[in-house]
Amino acid sequence: MRKVLFLCIIILSQGCQKEKISISENASDIFYVENADASMRVLVKGNTMSNTFILVIHGGPGVSSYFYDTKYISQNLGDKFAMVYWDQRNAGASQGTNNGDDLHLDQMVEDLKKVIEVLKYRYGQDMSLFLLGHSFGGLIAADFITRPGYQSMITGLINVDGSHNYPLNDTLTRQALLTEGNYQVSQKRNINNWMPIISYCKSHKGNFSLEESMQLENYATEAENYVDSINHINMVTQVLKYTITDKYPLTAILSNLLFSEDSNFNKELAVKQFSSSLGIVTVPVLVLWGKYDFTCPLALGEDFYTHINSSEKKIAISLQSGHNMILQDKKFFCEEVSNFVLKYR
Amino acid sequence: MLKTAFYILSLFCSSFCYAQSDSIIDSSANHMNLKLTYVSSLIYPGISIGVEYPINHVTLSVLKNQILIKRISRDRFISGNLNWYHHAGFHDNLYLTAEWVMRRTRYTGLISEFSMGPGLSRTFVGGTTYKVDDQGNISIVKLAGYYYALITAGGGLGYDFSMKKQLPLSALAKLNIISMFPYNSTVYFRPVLELGIRYAPVRSKNMPDK
Repeated sequence: MRKVLFLCIIILSQGCQKEKISISENASDIFYVENADASMRVLVKGNTMSNTFILVIHGGPGVSSYFYDTKYISQNLGDKFAMVYWDQRNAGASQGTNNGDDLHLDQMVEDLKKVIEVLKYRYGQDMSLFLLGHSFGGLIAADFITRPGYQSMITGLINVDGSHNYPLNDTLTRQALLTEGNYQVSQKRNINNWMPIISYCKSHKGNFSLEESMQLENYATEAENYVDSINHINMVTQVLKYTITDKYPLTAILSNLLFSEDSNFNKELAVKQFSSSLGIVTVPVLVLWGKYDFTCPLALGEDFYTHINSSEKKIAISLQSGHNMILQDKKFFCEEVSNFVLKYR
Repeated sequence: MLKTAFYILSLFCSSFCYAQSDSIIDSSANHMNLKLTYVSSLIYPGISIGVEYPINHVTLSVLKNQILIKRISRDRFISGNLNWYHHAGFHDNLYLTAEWVMRRTRYTGLISEFSMGPGLSRTFVGGTTYKVDDQGNISIVKLAGYYYALITAGGGLGYDFSMKKQLPLSALAKLNIISMFPYNSTVYFRPVLELGIRYAPVRSKNMPDK
């Protein structure tokens, strides 16, 4: 009996995490933010002494922030700033029970607000905070920043291949696939691979259903394989590289991804657009895009850039990237982000 | 035709017939076993302690010319286990399981077993957990975590030291899959490798004596 009691004490003491707040050049703190039946993991990694934080809003929905935390980013951004990796609800290591009904954009924006509040509570209200939204993370960032009063919580915004307008996104994806497909065929490259894509785009001209939208997205991902100029990254190798060292909860990441991909949430997203409200944005903005991004085509980045009202804004294009510039052109990405943050922090 | 029919019939009957087996209900086998194992998923450590209560025990002895050539014991247990693993930065999981265990032990000491059953899990989130109210007040949630229903199923191999030596111990290696639900409105699967020992306090009469 005594042994069982002793064991229980050991177990519970492991469960009770002490609050760890590191102010150093090489911090690595994990904490969770609980909101609406979800405990969302936040990893703060890098130079917290800089008092400059870059909060990564990952893509998806359902993809994890684990995949953004690479050695290269630690060495080239984490050395100067603190990188903040937030796992959105129903993604990555975030946990909860029967919380599927809370998976919607409004809730995620409120989650983000609370993550920022906790971040400032831990590391200081006077911090410089930049949001970095990638892909679907760009939609959360656009929703967040266009809510009255919210942009005062941040110093600047970095939009990396992000989608702020889903209906426009589908139209532009179709156009980009047709344009690049026809060009590649004219150059006699990967003709057999491009033809089904071109054919699909020609037969689906607009007013896309969710299924059509998802098919276009699948083709957009596939099409990157047929462009030689892109620096291709093997995602499986990339994931396996960090699985052990970064202690990935692999099966949780997979369960969350599968649930989010199949969720009704995607129907809500299909009609979301923030182009018309971006005029409210006045904070410094950096727009980074891959030239060969078919998932969120370059024209979408230009639409974002045009609609924001920031006097300090820049758009930069990577010539060797598709949708995953963070991995495909990591040097370009880190240099652009670093210069932007150093200038406006 | 008749010969074939007779042959099939005799084969069919032999499946019910234990003419060469010695099937004995062994009352001394009605003892509780204790289990202590190290559990891990990849690099994440844990521990499991359990008790097994025997439900059924059958020993089959196959004789040829009055010489024992094969002896297999088949056991059925109900086991109760307290398990815990630690996945840094993710969660600690403390879970209780009640399992139906089917075990076969060969004369050589080799054990094969399969088990499955329901359970209850309580996780402890792997980091300080904060809650922000609508007024922006921030507090720390004590013992943050969740309760989940759980189902475990697994199979493994082991070695019973009491078969060849006078040791009331068995070694076991087992792979379990635990599934927890509702986990973010879906099911969370986790493979758990179990390595450890089992202690059987009373030795069965069916075990061969030296």
